[in-house]
Amino acid sequence: MVRRVGWIAIAASAAVLAIVSAASARPAASAAASASASCSKGVSIGMQAPITGPAGSIGSDQLHWAQFYFTQWNKKSKIKIHVVQEDTQLDPSKASTTAQALASNASVMGVIGPAGSDEVQAVAPIFKKAGLAFASGSATRVSLTGGAWKGYFFRDVPNDGVQGPTDANYMMAHLGVTSGSKVMVVDDQESYSTGLADIVQQALTAKGVTVDRESVSQKATDFSSLVAKIDSSTKVVFLPFQLASEAQLFAQQMQAQGKTAVAFGSDGTFDSSKFTVNGSLISFFAPDVTTVPADAAIVTSFHKQFPGATSPFGAPNYVLAQMYASAITTACKDGKISRAEVRKDVLKVSLKSTILGGPLKLTANGDVAGAEFHIFKIENGQYVTIA
Amino acid sequence: MNWNLFVTELVAGISHGSVYALIALGYSMVYGILKLLNFAHGDVYMVGSFIGYGILGVFGGAQNLSIPVWALLTLMFLAAMLGGGLLGVMIERFAYRRLRNAPRIAPLITALGVSFFLENAAQLVLGAQYQSYNSFSWRSPIALKGFTLPSQARISYAEVIIIVGTIVLVVALTLFVQRTQLGKAMRATSFDREAAAMMGIDVDRVIVATFFIGSALAGAAGIFNGIEYQQVWPYMGFTAGLYAFIAAVVGGIGSLPGAVLGGLTIGLAQSFSIGYISSTFSDAVVFAILIAVMIVRPSGLLGRAAVSKV
Repeated sequence: MVRRVGWIAIAASAAVLAIVSAASARPAASAAASASASCSKGVSIGMQAPITGPAGSIGSDQLHWAQFYFTQWNKKSKIKIHVVQEDTQLDPSKASTTAQALASNASVMGVIGPAGSDEVQAVAPIFKKAGLAFASGSATRVSLTGGAWKGYFFRDVPNDGVQGPTDANYMMAHLGVTSGSKVMVVDDQESYSTGLADIVQQALTAKGVTVDRESVSQKATDFSSLVAKIDSSTKVVFLPFQLASEAQLFAQQMQAQGKTAVAFGSDGTFDSSKFTVNGSLISFFAPDVTTVPADAAIVTSFHKQFPGATSPFGAPNYVLAQMYASAITTACKDGKISRAEVRKDVLKVSLKSTILGGPLKLTANGDVAGAEFHIFKIENGQYVTIA
Repeated sequence: MNWNLFVTELVAGISHGSVYALIALGYSMVYGILKLLNFAHGDVYMVGSFIGYGILGVFGGAQNLSIPVWALLTLMFLAAMLGGGLLGVMIERFAYRRLRNAPRIAPLITALGVSFFLENAAQLVLGAQYQSYNSFSWRSPIALKGFTLPSQARISYAEVIIIVGTIVLVVALTLFVQRTQLGKAMRATSFDREAAAMMGIDVDRVIVATFFIGSALAGAAGIFNGIEYQQVWPYMGFTAGLYAFIAAVVGGIGSLPGAVLGGLTIGLAQSFSIGYISSTFSDAVVFAILIAVMIVRPSGLLGRAAVSKV
């Protein structure tokens, strides 16, 4: 009996070894990287977003806008595009795991996402190895483009290298910040926030401004201790947060303590349903599509498919879906498509105008050409463009 | 000396520490009776906060309140404490009771499982969005209005409610534990569960009461959080639960005065380190205190050293 069990164990071990060897001898990702597929069977686009977790509201909105575009597209096009969704929870390790799943799926020809800059760094080696294009509608860290991932990573939003100086210059020109005056810069300990805070801090200190650099957790809700440090010489409190509700809370607590400094949020805080404290300023890479008259029909149609609130983080994913649809159309001219073709054709996409208010043409580095940030002021809950 | 900054940090620290203390009391009570680290306790606090948010919605929401603020607050506290208490009882009944005699790792892992279950269930039912009490916009904006002290420090009514409310709840709990029969039974069960059972104490009833009271306090803490710090979301219990757990350990887990002292210590440490050192290092200061206390007094500031019979 013991001997029989031993033989069974040896046979089972050999079988497992054989399966593992076979799997590692031919990684699915590399197979998918070079393969062509027929366009007639439909093409898949991966979607990596924080669909659940603390940033679930952002991620589900991103997913919905991409799904919305492809739903419209599939009604009128012969080439059907399917979305393969993966939830990252804004966690780089989960982003890596789900990236592996997309890389191994031979029908996936490109990926929208991931949302965060840390996630982009985590998935980049996987997608590069798999030959997949991936494009983010919200990762703005400067170093993500133009380096090792050139030709693989793209984005349709301007980067922090544009936003930081825009904000610092506006403070100097319009908010009474001068050499010798003081600005408080508060990051939320996420890479997007710390990177942008660094850029603004450098731009201001280079002009002789004293910067009080602070840092709070993204999950913090009590800023009263920090707000107490804002003295009368502080002209501006810069809040490069990822969550608008955090900026709202900070600005409200400034009001409660009678502080007169201007709260100035970055693009992460741009949400007219959550950040509403009068007199606060915000920089953003595009308009809030719900307030743009030209986008009214699209927004109405979007709400029919996805009732409820939408955030400004969603619409750039609609444009990325548009970009992929255009690239897939070009790649499918011969009836077949490969990941390499999609990567090449993404760079050829040129959209004269998008719902974000400008054209879309990518540079060789993968950034969007001619991108600029805008400054908005909150007046009675409305976001008014002031620069 | 900048008295404005000092007093503001002091009030903020006590107010924040009060919330930690109320949650820490639940950790300590359950640990005292069952020697169980109930990691789902932070999520009971989350549910309490959402119950308050629901009550706010029922009466018109932040900007269209249909009842006076005092009535709203009363209803919020009653509903959150009752709801939190019942949730605690259900958790004990369905997740922990069968594991009472299991190895200690089993209820510990189960507690983590219950925590994840509550977080994900809340997200499924209530959505992932951050919601806000927005007590800045109530017809009597208790987070915005308040007193200005001679040092020019401003204290909001919400902070006053938190501090006074916590004192009332802690005094009531102390009287309950010291003066009532059930309180005495709780102390006896905490001292020696088997001996208490042999003396005729209904241990099941004591454990249910412990979960109810501890969870009701967490529900009240959820309301305090809402009226001052505004935001509620499904994962809010994790961070608050973590700090409250540290507070319970610093104060001496199993000790009720220790939980209050630990909560205030952590709240004040956070507040003063932000005000006088840097916000970047506030967590480092909190954990440094934890490490220092563990080295100097492993049983916590007011904890009893555990004696093992060999």
